Amino acid sequence: MANERDEREDDGRIGRLLRERLPRHPAPAALRAAVVESLFPGPARQPWWMLWMPPAFSAVATALVMLLWIAPSLPSAPIIDSAQLVARAVLAEHARNVFWGESRADVVPAALPRAIEESGVGLNWVFTGDDDIRLVDAKPTYLEGRRGIELSYLDVAGHTVTYVIVPGGNVALPERGRVQIDRWRPVVRKENGFSLIMWRQQALLCVMASDLVSDEDLGRFKEYFVKVRSSTEPYVVY
Amino acid sequence: MADDEFRQQALQHLDALHNLAVYLTRNGSEAEDLVQETYVRAMRFSHRFQPGTHLRAWLFQILRNTFLTFYRLREREAAISEDGVPESEAPMFHDAPSQDSESAGAHMDLERALAKLTEEFRTPLLLAEVEGLALEDVARIMDCPVGTVKSRIFRAKERLRGYLTDYK
Repeated sequence: MANERDEREDDGRIGRLLRERLPRHPAPAALRAAVVESLFPGPARQPWWMLWMPPAFSAVATALVMLLWIAPSLPSAPIIDSAQLVARAVLAEHARNVFWGESRADVVPAALPRAIEESGVGLNWVFTGDDDIRLVDAKPTYLEGRRGIELSYLDVAGHTVTYVIVPGGNVALPERGRVQIDRWRPVVRKENGFSLIMWRQQALLCVMASDLVSDEDLGRFKEYFVKVRSSTEPYVVY
Repeated sequence: MADDEFRQQALQHLDALHNLAVYLTRNGSEAEDLVQETYVRAMRFSHRFQPGTHLRAWLFQILRNTFLTFYRLREREAAISEDGVPESEAPMFHDAPSQDSESAGAHMDLERALAKLTEEFRTPLLLAEVEGLALEDVARIMDCPVGTVKSRIFRAKERLRGYLTDYK
């Protein structure tokens, strides 16, 4: 009994000792401040990039307005349509004919069927020439992804006329540059020192190119066009 | 309980939480980290606190669980301070309240003796005797029956008595 009482007294004494003698460690001021900050956060601070947003938006808007204002006066790349591409390819082909083309009038009758067969463009009739101009060559060609036929004429003055026929059902010819020649209204152009006459015939795109560029020569070129156009009837074979 | 009121009340227990944290971690900066983590968790799980129950006990419970989760592993390792003396035998703080040398010596002895107790004996002893919590609250914090708490406190005192022979 006495031992139990002693132990209880000891327990009480230890408890009192702990309460009275054990140092307490209050929270340091820095910890208190940190906890208060975490418990009662102030108004959220804006992130640094938010500060740059208004001037950035302003700068972008100003740049956009200036661009819209200046854009019309900036040189713009010309929009090249497919007719233009074919025309340029024909000019390149014509230039080759002028410089390196051969006059093979004697073999044209034999060359034509082969050209028709390989080009996919048939000819019901073809203008083979008269006193002013004559067909000197016929061969298959390939322009801007289109297989076609190329006929070369040579006039009495030694001018070469290249006549190219390619499938062109989806090629739209511009209204600008159209000229009434006889009963047709083809597009007539001068490009890089050459003359061009372009027209649509059924589902085919036909282009004639020549170095007849002066007014007088252009008149002759138009006459050749009338001869060719009225006496040639191409069609798509396949 | 309104959120703001809850925060205000939670803040009132800061000193008590820090005191327990010091005796659990035996390291000033770790104690501060532990207290901050305790508040972060308390705010995160404030919706789980049942109004009308003991907020102080709930905060102690969070603190102890956080300690067990993040700090206990280190305590299991044999902690040796730089001078080669086991940390449990070294005074925890050198800036303890300045009193007369006899009293300071008593503090040191008491702290050393307390530090020798394992956490499962030290915590219920501190909560019950120093913080004055009811045994039921201590049992909830320790996640064990009240009988176990009584037993641990008894054994903790018994061991302390052994360490503090001067106070017998």
